[in-house]
Amino acid sequence: MTTNTEPQSSDRAAAERAAAIAEFQRKDKWRRRLPLLPALLFTIVVTQIPFLFNIWFSLQDWKIVPPRGPDFTGLENFTEGYSNTFFLDAVGISIGMTTAAVLLSLLVGTGLALLLDRQFFGRGIARTLLITPFLIMPVVAGLLWKNQIFSATFGVVNAVIEPLGFDAIPFVERYPFWAIVTVLVWQWSPFMMLIILAGLQGQPTDILEAARVDRASGRGIFTQITLPMLRPYMELGIVLGAIYLLQVFDHIDVMTGGGPGSTNVPYFVYQRSIGGGWDFGQAAAYSIIVVIATIIIATIALRVLSSLFQRQETA
Amino acid sequence: MWSTNRLTKAGVGAMATALVASTAFAATAVAQDRSINVAIVGNPQMEDIASLTPQLFTEETGIEVNYVILEEQTLREIVTRDVGAGGEQFDVVMIGMFEAPQFGRNGWLVDLNEFAEGDEEYMLDDIIPAVRNGLSYEGGLYAAPFYAESSFVMYRKDVLDEAGIEMPREPTWDEVAEIARTIDSDDMSGICLRGKPGWGDLGGPLGTVINTFGATWWLAGENDTIGEAQVDQPEFAEAVNFWVDLLDDAGQEDASNASYNECTQQMLNSNAAMWYDATVAAANLEADDSPIKGKLDYALAPTKLTDSAGWLWAWALAIPQNAPDKETAWEYISWATGPEYLAVAGDLLPGGWATVPPGTRVSLYENPKYQEAAASFADIYLEAMQKAPIDMPGLQERPGLPGIQFVGVAQFQDVGTRCTEQISGAIAGNVSVDDALAACDAIASEVEGEEW
Repeated sequence: MTTNTEPQSSDRAAAERAAAIAEFQRKDKWRRRLPLLPALLFTIVVTQIPFLFNIWFSLQDWKIVPPRGPDFTGLENFTEGYSNTFFLDAVGISIGMTTAAVLLSLLVGTGLALLLDRQFFGRGIARTLLITPFLIMPVVAGLLWKNQIFSATFGVVNAVIEPLGFDAIPFVERYPFWAIVTVLVWQWSPFMMLIILAGLQGQPTDILEAARVDRASGRGIFTQITLPMLRPYMELGIVLGAIYLLQVFDHIDVMTGGGPGSTNVPYFVYQRSIGGGWDFGQAAAYSIIVVIATIIIATIALRVLSSLFQRQETA
Repeated sequence: MWSTNRLTKAGVGAMATALVASTAFAATAVAQDRSINVAIVGNPQMEDIASLTPQLFTEETGIEVNYVILEEQTLREIVTRDVGAGGEQFDVVMIGMFEAPQFGRNGWLVDLNEFAEGDEEYMLDDIIPAVRNGLSYEGGLYAAPFYAESSFVMYRKDVLDEAGIEMPREPTWDEVAEIARTIDSDDMSGICLRGKPGWGDLGGPLGTVINTFGATWWLAGENDTIGEAQVDQPEFAEAVNFWVDLLDDAGQEDASNASYNECTQQMLNSNAAMWYDATVAAANLEADDSPIKGKLDYALAPTKLTDSAGWLWAWALAIPQNAPDKETAWEYISWATGPEYLAVAGDLLPGGWATVPPGTRVSLYENPKYQEAAASFADIYLEAMQKAPIDMPGLQERPGLPGIQFVGVAQFQDVGTRCTEQISGAIAGNVSVDDALAACDAIASEVEGEEW
């Protein structure tokens, strides 16, 4: 039995209920977020306030040796730094070093992961040994390679090739860039290997069996099933690897101490500040240029190229 | 949430831990006597005094000395940062003739004359005048010298005799280069020269070569500013090319990585026949436990267009303005750089009397035990220091405070290090000398016109 007045009052009641629910949901959201506030405040204080200081310093002319400033100069540090050839060299080296190290370690890591994917005698030991380079301190790894492996006087490599008739090659002095990339690849391949291994072991076995029943070749299985499935894992490895490898400092400091072929941006900024330049205003300006560039590149890379975020949205 | 019971227990536990920890802290604080923090560079003479400190100093005075032994570049960084920013980390820092007058001028160091003039045992007038002046600024002594040096050529007399070559006592660079190339062999390189980047590493000896070839880094500007960069001049290129070519033809392996310590090893292992470097190296090469003791002879720093070319340097101890305990710091400095240490150290050091820190005090050179152990080099050591051309190192006026192998302006640290990085790259064969010099010119020109 329907009456004419019921739809009106039920509308109002429904509207009131909707308003009450919205109000509750709004307050509920805040109640859920409140416990997170201390962590958020802490993060802001610890990361953003120093960043604001950094921006302020970059607008100053401030040197420690000889003592000068701080005097406000506006954007002069930026205009000077932007076209400084040594800074641009460092940017080139940074990009080159990161790209080379990430891609090569991904390649080596994937190869090692494929080898470790099957069961064999001593697999556990092999895996542990393969992970070890990643656990070594960067400074130690750099010195190890520089003095015990690459050195022209004491190094293992030259001890092997010299009796064969070749001249001793001082690797680190002659090829500083590739010497550092070699050490980085040695240290980061285990990292990539672990990520790819997780991906390989997550492969659905029924699809693989079906492919084998259909008499697909090993190579076919790899290129058509495994690789596409590994893509998100590889992307993850690339993103994480790039984030860390952009910041490489220790290896450069102990192996080459900077120098024309191997100064990347972090090392360059260090040199401009406390590493001898003592020009805090300029160093701050360089670091901000780097932050802006990184944000642009990272946004493009993560939003446009990566499939990581896409999978999240469909989930 | 947690019950009140658990909360109380947790609270009591926390308080108890805090109490125990604080008493432990207090206990350790009371148990210690005075202690000071000293930053020094890791050269052999410094390591020696660090190992003798407990026995000769701490036992007598009860002051514990916490040494922070660092490599040269790192030491400079840390000291400049700490002293320049008014830090309280160190009571005593070791600095060189480059920093002492500059830091004194900036007001960062304590004037040691206040302490030294009242201390008779310290014998301030015993210190060699050139060294004392090099560490002073406008009458104030800002660092007490630990050891001082010039530079000269050290060569294996036996190797040269076998080749029938004689080295003049005051050679020219052309003569030295020719001898080096003649005696160079696969087992023993003709000469060992520094190649490691750093204004105090490669920059030192190369700086003296630059001077004597008639070149310089900058002209002196007006009103205490840095003038025009002279890196693009032909004389500068000639000097750098000379150094790079000599290393290429007759130098040691891994040249671009070699500095003082590496060449010391090369000489001790008989892998190099000659070495142009600091005079203090003779102290270690002629030590009692050195395999080449007695086999060396010495020649003054080679010249080309100037009368003399040796450098002047001292490693010295200074007290930063904000040092927590200046009195104790001076007690330490007066022992470490005083005549008493020099009089007793020789008997206790493994290397014997030859390795005692040289070049600072006349009394050491009057000590018969030292005269005997250092007979082969003591005279030429002093001669090199006295002849060091501190007033006019080359052919032009330079900006800044006096300096031979460096330019006495603060900007030289940065320019010198970055330029020597480029030149070291040329020594390694990565870049051509011309490219390295072009980059160096760009670097040096950046600071033209700046005040020093």
